[in-house]
Order: sequence, then structure tokens, then C-alpha cells
Amino acid sequence: MAGLAPPPRECRVVKPPILALNNVTKRFRGLVAADRVSLEVQPGSITSLIGPNGAGKSTIFNLVTGYLLPTEGEILFHGQPITGHATVRIARRGIARAFQIAKPFPEISVRDNVRVGALFGRDGPRDVADVTEQALDMAGLSNFADRPAGDLTVGFLRRLEIARAVAARPVLLLADEPCAGLNPSETEEVCDILRRVRDRGTTVFLVEHDMAAVMRISDHVIVLDAGAKIAEGTPAEISADPKVIAAYLGTPEDA
Amino acid sequence: MLREAVAKHRWWILLAIAGLAALAFVPFVLMPFHVRVGQLILLSTSLGLAWTLLGGFAGYWSFGHTAFIGLGAFAAGLFETQVLGLAFMRAEPLAGLGLGLLVGMGVCAVAAAIVAWPILRLRGIYFAVAMLGVAQVLAELTNSIDAFKGSMGLVFPRIPAFGLRQEAVFYYLLLIATAAILLIAFVVKNARIGHGLAAMREDEDTARMLGVPTERYKITMFVLSATLTGALGVIYAHSLGYITTGSVYRTDFSLNMIVYNLLGGMGTLLGPMIGAVIMVLLTQVVLGGFLNLHMFLTGAMLVALVLAAPKGIVGTWQAWRRRRASAAS
Repeated sequence: MAGLAPPPRECRVVKPPILALNNVTKRFRGLVAADRVSLEVQPGSITSLIGPNGAGKSTIFNLVTGYLLPTEGEILFHGQPITGHATVRIARRGIARAFQIAKPFPEISVRDNVRVGALFGRDGPRDVADVTEQALDMAGLSNFADRPAGDLTVGFLRRLEIARAVAARPVLLLADEPCAGLNPSETEEVCDILRRVRDRGTTVFLVEHDMAAVMRISDHVIVLDAGAKIAEGTPAEISADPKVIAAYLGTPEDA
Repeated sequence: MLREAVAKHRWWILLAIAGLAALAFVPFVLMPFHVRVGQLILLSTSLGLAWTLLGGFAGYWSFGHTAFIGLGAFAAGLFETQVLGLAFMRAEPLAGLGLGLLVGMGVCAVAAAIVAWPILRLRGIYFAVAMLGVAQVLAELTNSIDAFKGSMGLVFPRIPAFGLRQEAVFYYLLLIATAAILLIAFVVKNARIGHGLAAMREDEDTARMLGVPTERYKITMFVLSATLTGALGVIYAHSLGYITTGSVYRTDFSLNMIVYNLLGGMGTLLGPMIGAVIMVLLTQVVLGGFLNLHMFLTGAMLVALVLAAPKGIVGTWQAWRRRRASAAS
């Protein structure tokens, strides 16, 4: 099962992966945070990366965005190696990241926050006003556009984080636990936003702990445990996989 | 984007144009003393605006901006008296002043560009203190190297008055400078760079992550701010007629530029202007009668204002309007 392309969501030709990790290893001194991880993210999908705490999910994100340099292995974006490229360069090529801990510009308005994404995004300043309004609308922030970002609640800050990232017109959006700490209705709203992002043509690569949310919106799920990939497949396959259940709940012998 | 900003702020723009036009009549109606107060208000306003291009927009507070007033003044003065010579200045005083301005601004631009690279790696209070040092070093050099005439003093050639009184000439020069700097600040604030700077001021690392070229923007604003401050230094020096190191490298200039912005509202255009007008009127006119007390009163008032309205007058007003708007909705 491992390594296969995801089953098509609708009838669609399987395209080459937008993002591919080939045997990527990251060691922090003795600790192996990522252990020969190979994975692929298909264009137009919502692909989720899950796993228990410390499984290495955030490490994978940090490797893809250039915050960390892999010890071994190769990262390909559109088939081109981006291993070791500077963060800014990777961002310019169209990989945006929405952080779990939102980093708004608190004193400027919500609209101006999103506008920064649009002005300095992948294509440079083009149709800035339209792109800004679309991103605000997509994230359900239009009614708050003139408020300073510092006034927003945690749930809305998470949306702002996504809107600002999307305004940069990324090809691939890395969403880092966008539902963490949100109540069920806020979670549902964030899921809707991520679906809209995907439907507008941006591939979404998601790290998330909220399993209900992951199972609902993912096209493809990859499971990490202790730095290594242990399973991947559709949400239905993953939730039935004994290895995944063991990783999350422990095996009977552990008890 | 600029067109959008012009449309959004059209009433403010009309008000600014009307205000500047009205100010052009001041020398015809007011007494010379009041024209001098007007000069000081315009100088303070434009200095506050020039400082805010870096301090207010990018969040890099310079505590030594008087470095560029002094540098501009001495560069222009030495150029006009030593290179052009008094004969040229007498024959072509306006061309001489123009060339002096260019040289003063050019020297400030080059100096800022050289200093920018190491100094803008510092953030917050470290940058502020480093600029304090730059001003100190330049003042010392001007004072101790004889060729710079900092301790002897430099006499500036007179600028003809076109039938106006001398103080009116400098009033108009400062009025033009204020209008120009206000225009530049408005364009910068509403252009792409302005939005990038606002993001940078709030969180430089996140801004960089979003693709804002923070290094380039910082250096651009530093050089722009230094150049405009230098131009004001040149005009100010001419208005004095005779300068020594102490008359242009003045720590109180550096501090006042910050105070105008703090008082009026950091990062806004209206803020430094309001702050400068209030401070000059208070210190020169209202408190002018209590000369032995006025520094004390000014200081006490500033402490009270910063405690009561940490975002300045404009910031407090904006917050109040926002609260009212959100209460209404």
C-alpha cells in the first residue's frame, strides 16, 4: 500500500506529485526526527500528515520550508530539488505556510495583513485589491477587514493566517495544526476554508491532531510514528489500519 | 494602489493643500517674530516627518538623527564657501544654494548607505544607541578636524530676499521642504514599500517569511530619511547664517524628532505634524514667559501625555473612533 498514488477523488489523470520527499532523514545529534521518510503530495489534493506527539510532523514541515536542512535525502517541488534552498526562495516558488501559532501584524488592519501576502506573494503585486478581497472573503473575514488584527479571537486569527498565506497565491499551502485549540464549530469553519483553498487550485498539505477533521477533509493521509512513515492511504483505510491504531492507542502487550 | 489611497484620503489631501496654501500668506500678515515661530514650526514638522520615514514607518527609532542635520549643514557650507567660493555665491546665490542642497543631501545619502549596512542589523534599542553614537562621532570629528571648521564656525553666504524680509525667505524654503517631505511620506506609506514596512515594524521575521525584502527596505528608508534630514539641515544652517558644531549637531534635535512622533502618533503622517506644532507653540509661545520653569513644565507634560496616551494623539483618536464604530455595528 505504501508509496502508491492516492485513489482519484473524482475521475482524474494521476499527475506527477507536486511535492516529493525521497528518503529524507533528519538527525538532531542522537535523535532521529525523520527516518528515511518518502512521501508524495498530489496536486489538487488535501494531504494530511498525522501521528502521535513527537512523530516528526513539524520536522517535515520545517524541512520542506527550508527552516531545517535534511541530514540525508532529497526534497522535490514540481520535480525540482529544493533541498537546502533559503526559506525566502522556497516561499517565492509558491510554498506558503500557515502557522499554528498565528503571527498576525496586530496593529494593522485585517485587510492590510492579507494585503501584505498579496503584495509580496509569488507573482509579485498583481491585482492586489482583488486578490486581497477574495482571500478575505474565502476565509470569512470580510466583516472584520477594517479591524486591527490584534482584536481577533484565536479562531479568527487562524483564519487570518490562512487568508494571508493564500493571498500570496501559493501552489502548495502547508497548514500547521489549523484546528488546534478550536471548538467544533470553529474547526468546521476552518475545514470549509481549507476545502475552498483546494477547490481554487491550491494543494493543501496539512498537519493536524483533530482526527475527526482530518478524516472528513483529507483526500490522502500519511501516518508518521517515531520519525518513520508507518502507513498511508485514504481516510477509511487509515482508520482501519491496525498499525495506526497501535501507534495511537498502544498494543495490548503495552497495557 | 496609490490611486486608491488618494481616493480614500481625498479630504485630508485637500485639507493639506489648503493648509499649505494658507501658510503661504503668513509672512504677509504676521509680525517677524511670529514668522520666526512659523519657521520653527515648519522646521520641526518637516524634521518629524523625515524621522518618521524610518522611525515611524519601519520601527527603527534613531536617537541620533541630528547627525544628518549636522552633516548636511557642514557639507553644504564647506562646499559653498570653499569649492564654489564667495564670488560665485554672490553672483549666483540661488544656483549656489541649490548646489549646496544637492551636495548636502548627497553626502548624507552616501554616509547613510555606508552606515546602514552594519547598523541596521541591530534592532530596537541597539539601533537607537548606535545612532546616538554615530551623531556623537560625527560631531567630534567636525569639531576636532580643523578643515571642517566645526570649532571655528562657518559663515554662510546670504540668500537674496526678492524684496522679502530675510526670515520670510527661509519660511518659504521650509514650507516647500515640508510640502515635499509630506508628499514623499504619503507616497511611501501608501505604496508597496509602505505596506511592507508596516508589516516589518510589527514583526520583521514574519514579514520576511511572507516575502518582504526587509533588508532592502530598511536601507532604502534609512537613506531617504537621512537625505531629507540633510536637506533640512542645509536650509536651517543658511537661516542661522553662521554655524559651529554645537549649533547643528544638537542632541535636542534628535530627541525632539522622537518627541513629536510620540506625542502626535507614531507611524502616522498627521502625528509628527501635530506633535511638532504643539511642542513649538508650548515651548516657544505659551511657556516662553516662564523661562526658568519651561523645561521642567515641558518634561512633566510629556510624561503625563505618554502615560495617558501611549499611542499619541492620532493613535488615541483612531482607537476611540474604532471603538465607537464597533459599538455601533
